[in-house]
Amino acid sequence: MVTDVPPLAKYEQDLRKGVLVLAVLSQLRTAQYGYSLRQALAEQRMPIEEGTLYPLLRRLEAQGLLNSEWRVDGGPPRRYYTLSTPGAELYRDLHESWGSLASVMNKLLEGPQP
Amino acid sequence: MNPEAIIDTYVTDVVRRLPRKQRADVAFELRSLLAEELQGRADDTGRPADAAMTMDLLAAFGRPMDVADRYRPAGFTIIRPADAPGFARVALIGVALQWLISLVAVYTAPMDATAPGGDWLSRLGTWWLTWGLGSFWWPGFLVSASIIAALVSARRAPKEPAPFAVLDRDRVNRALIVLYLALAAVGSVPIVAIPSIATWGSALPQPVVQAFTLDGEFLTYRAPWVLLLWAAALGLAVALLVAGRWTRVIRIASAVGDVVWIALLAWWVAGPIFVSPLADETTRGILALLAVGIVVDLVFTVRRIARPIAAPVS
Repeated sequence: MVTDVPPLAKYEQDLRKGVLVLAVLSQLRTAQYGYSLRQALAEQRMPIEEGTLYPLLRRLEAQGLLNSEWRVDGGPPRRYYTLSTPGAELYRDLHESWGSLASVMNKLLEGPQP
Repeated sequence: MNPEAIIDTYVTDVVRRLPRKQRADVAFELRSLLAEELQGRADDTGRPADAAMTMDLLAAFGRPMDVADRYRPAGFTIIRPADAPGFARVALIGVALQWLISLVAVYTAPMDATAPGGDWLSRLGTWWLTWGLGSFWWPGFLVSASIIAALVSARRAPKEPAPFAVLDRDRVNRALIVLYLALAAVGSVPIVAIPSIATWGSALPQPVVQAFTLDGEFLTYRAPWVLLLWAAALGLAVALLVAGRWTRVIRIASAVGDVVWIALLAWWVAGPIFVSPLADETTRGILALLAVGIVVDLVFTVRRIARPIAAPVS
C-alpha cells in the first residue's frame, strides 16, 4: 500500500521537534525573555514558531527546569527565563546524549550508501 | 481596527482555557510577546502594524484552543487510538440494537390505531422521547467507564512491566483451571441431586420439595443432554490444563460448545422446567440470562480465534 509522502518540511519539522528542548535550554544559560530567545535562535538558523516556543517556556518552568522573573529594563515589563539547577543538570545530560547521537548519526549517514 | 484590541481579544480567548491561577500571568506575558512580535514584523516590512498584519501574526501563532493546549502539560488518553474504531463500533451498535428492539416492540404492541396516540407517527414521537433518546445512555456509559479506566491506568507506575496476560493473552492460569474444576465438581452435586429430592429430601419442608420438583417431560427428554455437555466442558478444561494456553483448536471447540449450550438452554427455556410456576419462571429467567452471557462469550471466543499468519501476497 502506498500513501502520500508528506513534504520535506514536515520531516524537517519532526527532526527539529526532537531537539527543541535542548536548543532552548542551550540559550537559557543566560537570562532571556521569549521574544529575544526566539530571535537568538532564529539568528543561529534555528527558527522556532512563536506559538510553539512561548508555551514551551511555561511548560519547562512548570517542570522546574527554568526559573523566571519579571523585569523592567526601561521598556515594557518582560518575563525573563533562565536555567534552574535541575534544568542545568538536564542540559548537561542532554548535551552529552546529543554528542553521542550526532556521532552515531554521522557514522550512519557517512556509511556506504544504498 | 486597533491591533492591540485584536491581540487582547485573542489573548483572552487563549487564557480562558487555562487554569484560573495561571491566566493573569500568561495573559500579560503573551500580550507583551505578541506586541513585540507585531512590532518586529512592522519593522521588517517598514510600515506600521495594522489589522491585517495582526491577523497574519495570530494565524501563524495558531488557534486559541491549540495554543491553550500547548500551554498545558500532556494529559492522559481516555480512548487509545488503537481502541477508537472498536469503541465507536460498540457504541453505535449498542444504540442501533436498542433502537431496533424498542421500535419492534413499539410497533408490534397491540394498540388501537384510531385511539389518541395510537397512529404510527404518535408512536414514533413517543418512542423517540423515550427509547430513541434514552438509548444514548450506552455511549455515555462507555465514555464514563473509559474515563475511570484511564484514571486508574494513569495512577499506575509508568515503568511497571506489562503482565504476562497482556503480552501473551492465550496463556492460562493452571491453578485457576484446577479451582474451576473443583468448584464445578462441587456445584454439580446439588444440581444432580435435584431430580431425586423427593427421595433424599424427606426431612425438608414440603413446600421446598414441591418447589424443586422437576417437570417430567423436562427430566426425561431435555435434561439428560446436560451430562454430555458437562463432559465436553470437562474435557475442554483438561485440554487447557495440559496445553497451558488457548490454542486455535481449543478455541474452536469452545465456540462450538458455546453454540450447543445456547441451543440447549433455548430448548430448556422453551418449556416448563419445574412443576411449581414460581420456581419455573425464576429458573427460566436465570437460564435466559445465562444464555445471553454465553452469547457474549461466543462473540469474544470467535473474535479471538487466531487465523494462521499468512505470507503476504505479492
